[in-house]
Amino acid sequence: MNSSLDSTDTGQTPLHLTPGHWLWRSTTRHWSLLINKRSIVVNATLTLILLACALSSLALGTLSITIPDVILALQGKGTTMHTFVLEELRGPRLLAGALAGASFALAGCLMQTLARNRLATPGIIGIDNAATAFAVASVVGVGISAAPHTMALVGAAVATALAFGLAGATGTRGYRFIIAGLAIGAVSGAITQVMLSSVALDDANAAYPWTVGSLNARAPAAVNALIIGLIVGYTLSLFLNRALATLQLPEPVTASLGTRSGRVRVAGLILSVLLTGLAVSVAGPVGLIALLGPELARTISRPGSIPLTASALSGAILMVLSDLAGRLVFSPLEIPVGIIAALAGSPYLLWILLHKSPDINR
Amino acid sequence: MNQFMTMSKINSPRAPLAAQSLMMSHGPHTIIPHLDIELRTGEVTAIVGPNGCGKSTLLNGLARIHKPRQGTIVLDGADIHTLPARDVARKLALLPQDNSAPEGLTVTDLIRFGRHPHQSWLSQWSEDDERAVRKALRAADVGDLANRPLDTLSGGQRQRAWIAMSIAQETQLLLLDEPTSALDLGHQIEVFELIRALASQGKTIAMVVHDLVSACRYADHIIAMCHGEIVTEGTPSKVITTNLIAELYGVACDLMHDPVSGSPILVNIRRVHPAKPAEIT
Repeated sequence: MNSSLDSTDTGQTPLHLTPGHWLWRSTTRHWSLLINKRSIVVNATLTLILLACALSSLALGTLSITIPDVILALQGKGTTMHTFVLEELRGPRLLAGALAGASFALAGCLMQTLARNRLATPGIIGIDNAATAFAVASVVGVGISAAPHTMALVGAAVATALAFGLAGATGTRGYRFIIAGLAIGAVSGAITQVMLSSVALDDANAAYPWTVGSLNARAPAAVNALIIGLIVGYTLSLFLNRALATLQLPEPVTASLGTRSGRVRVAGLILSVLLTGLAVSVAGPVGLIALLGPELARTISRPGSIPLTASALSGAILMVLSDLAGRLVFSPLEIPVGIIAALAGSPYLLWILLHKSPDINR
Repeated sequence: MNQFMTMSKINSPRAPLAAQSLMMSHGPHTIIPHLDIELRTGEVTAIVGPNGCGKSTLLNGLARIHKPRQGTIVLDGADIHTLPARDVARKLALLPQDNSAPEGLTVTDLIRFGRHPHQSWLSQWSEDDERAVRKALRAADVGDLANRPLDTLSGGQRQRAWIAMSIAQETQLLLLDEPTSALDLGHQIEVFELIRALASQGKTIAMVVHDLVSACRYADHIIAMCHGEIVTEGTPSKVITTNLIAELYGVACDLMHDPVSGSPILVNIRRVHPAKPAEIT
């Protein structure tokens, strides 16, 4: 009956209002779910790619292991040598890389959406640098005794609070926040250099991985914290998703649709900082992942959706690939993952600045 | 004006949205020092006045976008700032001047955003949502454009799509900030007629309008503002006088009446004090 009404109204077949979605409604009309088909396809594809990258990352290196041997070893049936390489060396490194990449990119996606600006990623606005400065301070022992990865988290929080404070309450959108963050990042970078140049060479060497981003220096405690942080952060960000979607519209419309944008922004910012701090504490400042991951995800996702899951998956893929490339290209010499990510990401950053609007909607 | 009279008028039960002793600031600058206003049920109210007179600020205050420095805004008898944001969003929709949307978003995608205050995690696309969006598509006459990306539409079509989003919100009140700015004559008429149609269905509408003739033609009630204060208000034919226009815009003009609708038309508009040759450099 309903459809006949529609067809008389429009004079033709009833219009499909939710193209590209699956709709489930309970017969009692108590609930209804609308699932975006494209996001399912995109996320499934990215998961497969991530698995392929992970397997390659486990198999390739100074000691190459064939994929069947990798699978045997994962089942506990491999040789002692293979089991050692996979369980002690490559496995934990892969896990740390994938988790850190996912965190960086999820944090980037959140912050870009909150600020409605592509350039507003934690790496670019100096959160990474501040986290690094605090971690280095801890490594070289500038009067601080907490572990480097704890200090990284503290640094991320301090930088964000400062940027937020300097930009003013309404400044998270647009340029004020970015400019304030840039300044904080520059100061943090300078402080890091001062610390490195004023301590003994051994201390400076110990702090080096922190300054470029590397998966060599990961501490098990930091990885454990990252696992928990990512699970919590990802779950909470999914709850923000509906509100985040409305943030894409002009500010007055967002408010008029009933979104408390101030609250959403603070919540998203806290999540973003937490994820970034934890990721830096594991992998150092590999901030460009936070720019590249969400961008890749946004390109392949449906317009108008906030690709949180796809960003996290893309970030993990990019991180695993960067680390793999760093291990293989000049093997046996290893290039830190941060340098690979910077080499791959900087041209892209330049391209955004030259050819694309920083506005996330364009 | 007599304070008593104003108060009793605002407390009348028929005003769905009213402001009492409203003071709005922008940083250290006071935009609206003291203002009382009430919207009339089922009528179109046009807010007119020169640039910078506080029209948009007033609209943003009424829509709960910005918090007033002082005074209260009463929505359906309750202080708007004590109501949950979601409840307000089910009663009041605002369409600002700047309407930018994510690239690639289609008309239907946009209109579906209007259902946001009615949805939740467990109710993402109810039959009510579907009905409201269909109704909005029809009312704003954008059914044929339903699956077109917004960036491929003309200005008038895009504005109708945005209004459709507000219609889908199914609010009793609709506030529009210059709904026809940047539209050509034909598209302006389209949008104004849509606004009239919505009012005839019982919606209470307030709009900021620059064009006085259109304001007179399409509004039931005109509020003239200057320097953050209401200069005068009433029906177009009562309010619009040559004195008022001189006061608001500093121009002299003659008034005629539209032979068809009877609403005032401004002709022979000129500066009150023509610039002396020496002043032109």
